[in-house]
Amino acid sequence: MSEAIFCDDLLTAAFPGILKHDPICAKSSHFTVPKDRLPAISHYIHTQPSLRGRLTLLWACDDRPVRDSYGLYYLFTLEASHHWVVLSTELAGHDRLFPSITPHIHAAQWYEREIRDMFGLIPQGHPDLRRLVRHEHWPKGTHPLQKDFSWNNVLERQQGEYRFHHIEGEGVFEVPVGPIHAGIIESGHFRFSVAGEPIMQLELRHFWKHRGVEKLFEQLTLTDAVLLAERVSGDTTVGHALAYCQAVEALLHLEVPRRANYLRSLFLELERLYNHLGDIGAMCNDTAYALAHAHCGRLKERIMQLNDRLTGSRFLRGVIEVGGVTQDIESRRLVEIVEELSHIQSDFSEVGAIIFANASLTDRLETTGVLNERTAWDHAVIGIVGRASGRDCDLRRDRPFAAYDELPVNVALYRYGDARARLRVRGDEIHESIRLIREVRDKIPNGPIASQPRSLPKPGAWTLAAVEGWRGEILYMVMAGEDGRIHRCKVRDPSFVNWPAIQWAVLGNIIPDFPLINKSFNLSYAGNDL
Amino acid sequence: MFRIIKKSLRIGVVTGRYQKANKPELPVTPEAQDRARLFKRSLAIREVDTGSCNACEMEMNALLNPVYDADRFGIHIAASPRHADALVVTGPVTVNMERALKDVHKQTSDPKIVIALGDCAINCGMFKGSYAVTGPVERHIPVDVRIPGCPPRPAEILAVLSELQGKDNTA
Ligand code: SF4
Repeated sequence: MSEAIFCDDLLTAAFPGILKHDPICAKSSHFTVPKDRLPAISHYIHTQPSLRGRLTLLWACDDRPVRDSYGLYYLFTLEASHHWVVLSTELAGHDRLFPSITPHIHAAQWYEREIRDMFGLIPQGHPDLRRLVRHEHWPKGTHPLQKDFSWNNVLERQQGEYRFHHIEGEGVFEVPVGPIHAGIIESGHFRFSVAGEPIMQLELRHFWKHRGVEKLFEQLTLTDAVLLAERVSGDTTVGHALAYCQAVEALLHLEVPRRANYLRSLFLELERLYNHLGDIGAMCNDTAYALAHAHCGRLKERIMQLNDRLTGSRFLRGVIEVGGVTQDIESRRLVEIVEELSHIQSDFSEVGAIIFANASLTDRLETTGVLNERTAWDHAVIGIVGRASGRDCDLRRDRPFAAYDELPVNVALYRYGDARARLRVRGDEIHESIRLIREVRDKIPNGPIASQPRSLPKPGAWTLAAVEGWRGEILYMVMAGEDGRIHRCKVRDPSFVNWPAIQWAVLGNIIPDFPLINKSFNLSYAGNDL
Repeated sequence: MFRIIKKSLRIGVVTGRYQKANKPELPVTPEAQDRARLFKRSLAIREVDTGSCNACEMEMNALLNPVYDADRFGIHIAASPRHADALVVTGPVTVNMERALKDVHKQTSDPKIVIALGDCAINCGMFKGSYAVTGPVERHIPVDVRIPGCPPRPAEILAVLSELQGKDNTA
């Protein structure tokens, strides 16, 4: 609490005009600021040594049906205390302009372009106003998240071409890759500029898979939309469902039973396990080390089959619901799970020893795709990628959710920021997840596994929830509408933040190493494109 | 080296260690089977993602792991549509991917088989009606085989593919 008072005092003293509100959730502060002060205040929060706020989320909301204005919200996480600071401002009447904070805070770049595309609000002073989500064939003036844009309005096509950044000079040429790739990978476009072998520039062109998820949320009720959250990014089914449910539960003032919280942690760790095992295998495969790939694929499959036996879904679909979980795991099954995981752990330790003893593999991984700590901070990089670059952040420890307040987590941290560090973070987290599941078995209390929602939230009430999924921090902002519907849901997969950083990590590397670097990040296209 | 060999010997053969799927929900049509006969006992597949949630992709990838090892049935993944006998399409077709899907279909040499994998590809699933979705796949290109599920299990995918190839892959 003292942290809240300290930060609030600091801000109100430095900027007398700002207005303090009730916090939207625990460990947070909320201020309304005049829009022209936004750049100054956010710059202050970002750079002030005792605050060091990392831009965590930036979203807009079309409130016109009720209030004749658009709302803009900026969420910062303070570096030392992990306290949240929300700044909000309004664009009233016909005002469509807001000052860009990108010149000071690089991490705002994509958010502001996204807001421009989806709402038609223009960030003034933004250095790059090309379209991001709307590809060039979308007609002018289509902004899907405006309330008067109908959700099932079929778009027409127009002519248009995306202008890539070009590097010119003798011997420089461009290599376009995608949107359809050679392996079984999601769709995205990469444009490399190379001179000889080293990459001089990489430009991403994503959002091919934009499905209109945020608009679809607005057509659903608070309790039904879990199904959609599960399908935002399939490999993070539990992470997204959990983050969404936590937000809704906060809106409904719903207390989740302790047993359900433990089971939620169990499912989240199972999801982390199969993804990390798969990633380690895939990274080895990209260095042409097929043996390790086969072993990891086998281990991953064991966990997915375990999921299937436990819940009837290999991706743990349908286990998280608003209020708790849908399936109980008896203690006899828990003992079985732990036994199976102990086998997998010793199996993986042997595979790990084989992997790390391989000199040619180490040679490929070391100093490949280095993302240094400074760049990681500038781009607000999070999750496994952040932890491999010295960014010590893990929500399970920093802002505990589910049962993590009773399950302390040892956070894996490496500083080199290369592909090998990202591999090591995953390896460590596999052991840590299995340890946590053992703790779940020992500590899980008896009791109910779900509580029933009784009331509906007030229209316009909103809240934020965050979950450390296997990739990193997943954020949901849910604003309630009429009759238990959703007025606005902002989804933020960690991929959206980490994608731009890959453009820096590849510089100076050679194109044949790009698949490896990409795999070591392993970001979701679906979760990014929404 | 000894460590590697010892490990492999201890693990043994894992191929086939999965629960076999039931008979496919949607039977494969005789026309599709006829066309598949042209490819003899192999099938080169090109996978196209037109807006999936990536779970369907992961299950396609799982087909190649040592447990399912689809290669043993002559099923392999081609790096280019030009080398493919069959296109596997996942996801509802998004506005942004529509053109790319048509291009890929055009680039795939005839005769070809189009397989819609997952509920999204068959009927857009949860994304039906969205402004950004123009699917399902059959609206844009002719679909020969449908594999329902969200996502279908690898064993189920294998079962359909074996029916398509007219052989028993469940053994
Ligand atoms: S069918 Fe289900 S699993 Fe497959 S892409 Fe669609 S939502 Fe994802």
